[in-house]
Amino acid sequence: MRWLPAGRYVVGNSLLHRLDARAKIICLLFLLAIVIGTASVGSYVLALSAIGMIILLSQLPLRHVFGNVGRLWLFLGTIFLMNALFFDSENALCSWWIFHLSISGIKQGFSLVVNVLLVIILSNVLTLTTSPNEITTALESLIKPLRLLGVPTEDVAMIISVAIQFIPTLMEETEAIKMAQIARGARFESKKLRERALSFMPLVVPIFLSAFRRADELSLAMEARGYRNATNRTKRKKEPFVWQDYMALSACGALCLIQFLVLR
Amino acid sequence: MQKMSYVKRSIITAACVALCVILPMAFHSIQNAGSILSPMHIPVLLCGLICGPAFGLLSGLVGPLLSSLFTGMPPMAYLPPMIIELAVYGLVAGLMISLIRTKKLYVDLYLCLVIAMIAGRIVAGIAMALIFVPGSYSMAVWTASYFITAWPGIVIQLALIPTIVFALMKARIIPERYSEKA
Repeated sequence: MRWLPAGRYVVGNSLLHRLDARAKIICLLFLLAIVIGTASVGSYVLALSAIGMIILLSQLPLRHVFGNVGRLWLFLGTIFLMNALFFDSENALCSWWIFHLSISGIKQGFSLVVNVLLVIILSNVLTLTTSPNEITTALESLIKPLRLLGVPTEDVAMIISVAIQFIPTLMEETEAIKMAQIARGARFESKKLRERALSFMPLVVPIFLSAFRRADELSLAMEARGYRNATNRTKRKKEPFVWQDYMALSACGALCLIQFLVLR
Repeated sequence: MQKMSYVKRSIITAACVALCVILPMAFHSIQNAGSILSPMHIPVLLCGLICGPAFGLLSGLVGPLLSSLFTGMPPMAYLPPMIIELAVYGLVAGLMISLIRTKKLYVDLYLCLVIAMIAGRIVAGIAMALIFVPGSYSMAVWTASYFITAWPGIVIQLALIPTIVFALMKARIIPERYSEKA
């Protein structure tokens, strides 16, 4: 665990990689609305073609884009079966005990599974083309309007950035504590699930103590240097949107309008 | 437990958010640890109890999001209901600790934890039934996923969180709640 996890980001230089993370997050919201709004064959064609185009533009290997879809087969299968067997008991094709297989249930199950799959693929493309740091910086920028509601967005941004700084340090500490516990006889590699789960318990309290001690020291140091809160702090780098970002936003906005005004 | 400065509470919240990323990674060698042991719940509940409702809410909102971005756990499809559940945990734990004062720290902590856990699960269940899987979510599925599958996690949280609070108080990292009895 001696490395900072890079999320699932795949380094690249495609158009999607170069887009501003803020624009990508807003586009993702538009595309999620398009997926949720699918109600007719036309709307599915629109959603599928938009997502197909995005995958092409991302230049990502397909095994990355669809990587975690296979692991969800049980979850997706359960959603499909629950809808197919319980959705409509009055117009059932065949019935047995509490199960009623119906055409409307199959359609409902199919549409739910397709929607979940499309949402997973879209979020995969976002996380594969944008590094976690870019996403958190973009989120900091996007939550700024919440200041109007009295939310201290600068403090939220400070907390997020301190949390990111803490991750590698605390990971090293966790590893050291783990080694110390192994030296004391903890059996993290035991084949018995119960034994392995119990062996993690003595790990948790020292991890928390160490993390809170570090937080205590950092807050003391910050207060000693006169830090009170993050309001009115300036940023070293301000990157405005470029024309590609505006194009992406307009295209996704237009698709969203077509979905809700024409195809529904 | 809220006599700490604003800066200290902010930094402790940041540490709890970081622990939301690290604990699931530490537990990853145990199969299905995420759904059974729920390691991410511990820092969020602790943050609510120690730093108050606003910081608890923030750690519940940001913790799972950062974990998903950095480690891919939980997958994005599971993220919204999980964020709602954890945000309610942090918020309610913080609210309850400021409302409940029985003069016995253990009783305060257990009452707050139980109320927060039930509130979080109810709100997450309502969100699942109304927003995320409308029409195909039942009471049986809710009970199975939030109580039956997660019972080892519930036991671990009830055992560990008061222990961690006591350890932090003993180490003088957080102030005593009932200092006159110490």
